[in-house]
Amino acid sequence: MNKRILPYKILQNILNCAALILICLFPSCEEVIEADLSKADPVIVIEGAISDQSEFHRIKVSKTIPFDQPNSFNGVKEAKVTVYASNSQTYSFTATSDGVYQSQRFRGVAGVNYMLEVISGGKTYKASSIMPSAVRPDSVTFKRLTILGNSRVYPSIYYKDPPRIQNQYRYLLKINGKLSADQVSEDRFSDGNPTSDLITFEGKELKAGDRADIEMQCIDRNVFKYYFAISQIDGNGGPPVAPSNPDSNIDNGALGIFSAHSRSTYSLTLK
Amino acid sequence: MLPSKYTFLLIFFMIAGAKQGLAQDNYIVSGIIRDSLSGESLIGVTIKFSNRTQNGTSTNAYGFFSYKLIPGVYTMTVSYIGYRTLASTITVESDKRLDLTLTPENNIGEIVVTGEKRNDNVVGPQMGLAKINLNEIRNVPVIFGERDVLKTLQLLPGIKSAGEGNSGFYVRGGSTDQNLILLDEAPVYNASHLLGFFSTFNSDAIKDVSVFKGGMPAQYGGRLSSVLDIRMNDGNKKEYTAEGGIGLISSRLKVEGPIVRDKSSFMISGRRTYADAFLALAKDTSIRKNTLYFYDLNAKANYQLDEKNTIFLSGYFGRDELGLNQTFGFDWGNATATLRWNHLYSNRLFSNTSLIYSNYNYVIENFIEENNFKVSSSIRDLNLKQDFQLSLSNSHNLRFGLDMVNHRIAPGSITSSAGSSVNEETIERRKGMEASAYVSDEWEINDKFNIVYGLRASSFFLRGPGIFNNYDVEGRITSSKSYGSGELVKNYLRLEPRLSASYLLSEYSSLKVSYTRNSQNLHLMSNSTASSPTDLYIMSSNNVKPEIADQVAGGYFRNFNEDKYEFSAEVYYKTMLNQIEYRSGTDLRGNRNVEADLLYGEGRAYGIELFVKKRFGKLNGWVGYTLSKTERRFDDIDKGIWFNAKQDRTHDLSLVGIYKAGPRWTLSSTFVYNTGNAVTFPAGKYQVNNQTYFFYSARNSDRMPDYHRLDLAATLEAKPGKKLQSSWSMGFYNVYARKNAYAINFRDDPDDKTKTQAVKTTLFGIIPSITWNFKF
Repeated sequence: MNKRILPYKILQNILNCAALILICLFPSCEEVIEADLSKADPVIVIEGAISDQSEFHRIKVSKTIPFDQPNSFNGVKEAKVTVYASNSQTYSFTATSDGVYQSQRFRGVAGVNYMLEVISGGKTYKASSIMPSAVRPDSVTFKRLTILGNSRVYPSIYYKDPPRIQNQYRYLLKINGKLSADQVSEDRFSDGNPTSDLITFEGKELKAGDRADIEMQCIDRNVFKYYFAISQIDGNGGPPVAPSNPDSNIDNGALGIFSAHSRSTYSLTLK
Repeated sequence: MLPSKYTFLLIFFMIAGAKQGLAQDNYIVSGIIRDSLSGESLIGVTIKFSNRTQNGTSTNAYGFFSYKLIPGVYTMTVSYIGYRTLASTITVESDKRLDLTLTPENNIGEIVVTGEKRNDNVVGPQMGLAKINLNEIRNVPVIFGERDVLKTLQLLPGIKSAGEGNSGFYVRGGSTDQNLILLDEAPVYNASHLLGFFSTFNSDAIKDVSVFKGGMPAQYGGRLSSVLDIRMNDGNKKEYTAEGGIGLISSRLKVEGPIVRDKSSFMISGRRTYADAFLALAKDTSIRKNTLYFYDLNAKANYQLDEKNTIFLSGYFGRDELGLNQTFGFDWGNATATLRWNHLYSNRLFSNTSLIYSNYNYVIENFIEENNFKVSSSIRDLNLKQDFQLSLSNSHNLRFGLDMVNHRIAPGSITSSAGSSVNEETIERRKGMEASAYVSDEWEINDKFNIVYGLRASSFFLRGPGIFNNYDVEGRITSSKSYGSGELVKNYLRLEPRLSASYLLSEYSSLKVSYTRNSQNLHLMSNSTASSPTDLYIMSSNNVKPEIADQVAGGYFRNFNEDKYEFSAEVYYKTMLNQIEYRSGTDLRGNRNVEADLLYGEGRAYGIELFVKKRFGKLNGWVGYTLSKTERRFDDIDKGIWFNAKQDRTHDLSLVGIYKAGPRWTLSSTFVYNTGNAVTFPAGKYQVNNQTYFFYSARNSDRMPDYHRLDLAATLEAKPGKKLQSSWSMGFYNVYARKNAYAINFRDDPDDKTKTQAVKTTLFGIIPSITWNFKF
């Protein structure tokens, strides 16, 4: 699901198309198989965010489950979750359901370092993330892209990238309320420029009346690298790399990510 | 500058040792052996003389031989696989120049009773050497019917395919970039077309293929795991001929002939695929506007100035072109050129001087107005090589020389027009020079004991201009320094001893051992499962140390049934230092700090290779089997435990059979079986942002399913006698349509999002092919 936009983003499409053209000439196929997978002991997973919106911020604590079980959130009860901010604020999080911990309403501040501490099962897990300054979109529109006879409409975000600052962006796209894309991008090749990022997604094509909800986040470098590593396993931006757990900014062997980010949301309907 | 002290000491030592063996009144017989029909010089021809107990000699890469004899009358036998053995009586009373020709056998099925031993494979001291006969390449079935040197090589033990239909290969646990691939001595950086399905080597243009899996002689260096030495045809010196083939997805044509009869000739060979021609059949106009093809061109010319001087000029140019409806363009390819001068200083001292150029580059263009850009990247070598071969005596054959390579890597340069959101940017070029000196001696100690030993001294110099950073273990810059043009940044010197020895147990069997050290200063950055045209090379630097491999090997070699059958068993153990991987989440593209994200570790590989080959007769072919293990260890991966390298395959079996069914029919078949690659599958799952993420435990601790496949091919020659010779080649790849796994991916079940599933992708079912070949 993670798709990434960069000048080189095109490359992946090209390679895919080349492979496609070749493979189209000959029968190739996909089938669901029974894979014999090893089962590792459960590992703790922490996912949390502090945004620049005035809201209840959430930290989720869970454990991994075996591959053959139904997908579910395996929440961890009775964790102690606290966020210490470099502006001398301390926020305690309280459990609202199994594994979900929530703060009081507050607004995150750009430039502040938020330090997460989760104590669970006698272990302490720490992470920190500095909230980047917000970059807000100038506009959001739909754009048509044709690749190999396949013409589709995608949302496109226009914004002015601030010069001489390393920026990372994350886009979450919901189509008719359903999460359809989660992708990251950076300004390594477009620093300081008016930029348009296309949010690509797989699945059904958009049709008139479909509603797209887009969330744009400005994320810190470690968070970007985490999501980028996830997308590489899917073969994004080149051939697939050997899968491994992405480097998390949470210590002590926990999976997941803690992100302090700005957030802007847009909605539009395809006419 | 050069580590000359050691080298020349060694040379003097060898000469001093050899001098003692010299008799006073010896004469030298020397010359060039050629094909009688085409005038092509022949490589590796065995030449023996009667009433000599020694093994005789063989021709070098230019067909030249030199041998010392006391005055007398000898029967000289000249033999070469695929040719009629020549036996003649010569009288030696003075130095003699003998340029001879051999006549090809009419067909490979012909049983030739020569009484002559064909046991070079047993007697010669060289270990780890495999030779591929061009007849085999011609007849072995391959995907799309496209004859392919690299895919035929993959059928030998110890050499493994990098993937389904892929021309990349792994040798004895090494990775694909650890193979030194030389085309007329020029290194080829990306030896594949169309994402790996075809190799860059057009087999029409090839004369000789040797691959060293270990025990490389000292004249080769620069890569850890193998040397693939491919020599192009020189061109027919006698008459003009043209040959070619028309196939389903590609066609090829070769023209050759004399420029000055018996003195000078040329050869031009071209090939183009037209996979995209099928796109023209599409209804959708936007599909029709796409392009996807590759072409390559080999050309060579030579001129024999006199008996002592010959000049060769050869070149290769190949390109893959991909264009999508004027939206994107992507093309990549190699260009190489080699200028060589063979010179005989005396009938004992053969010299070759080569000036070599090699360039690989790619260009990606995006034509979409608001974010248009063009990315280009290249790697270029300029190489000057001087090789000498000196027959000191019949028991000492000395080779020594110098090799200077200038490398230039331009990792990436982005240009864009005004109004594009993409900034122009150029990643600094890197310049380095490799300077090596080598000496080696092939020494026939006695009738039973032969040895090739030598030393290669390789030095590497990384030079400015540019800014060079030092990084700590976390990848943070600790210091940074700017260097001026030509200023030395870092220098490495590696001494590489080489040794290969054989001990004859009997006429038909021998034991061999070898030890080889190799070092490598150009490193391919690729964590990926497949090769990509955009794979990045970096040089050794202040952060990246040269890779080093040490390999010991031993083997038993035996021929049966008057050399009709050949058997070998080789064991090897190899260690590799300074191996490179990169951290997860590293973006190699346009990255000026790639070295910040590298991890350094070590590797080890060991195994046993069994090989039985039937060399003559109506039915010939071979069985190769490898049992092996390949592992890597990195401090930062899985807490520093040894893990399986991706190319680790426990069992690897290849069967090849070529049957001459009649005067016109040749049938052939291959069967391959191997254990699946080592891969990492999920050991669990979890949710982040309500999406399923997979949890991975130990690296490469899972296995892809076993791979096996049967291919068949048949060639029907037209009735002989006409001026135009033609043949039909038909083939089936994956005859029983085995659904081999190309990839196994994990995802949410599209029909039931509460479940996850494993999905196997199969690339090719059964694939037929047909090609019409002609020659006139």
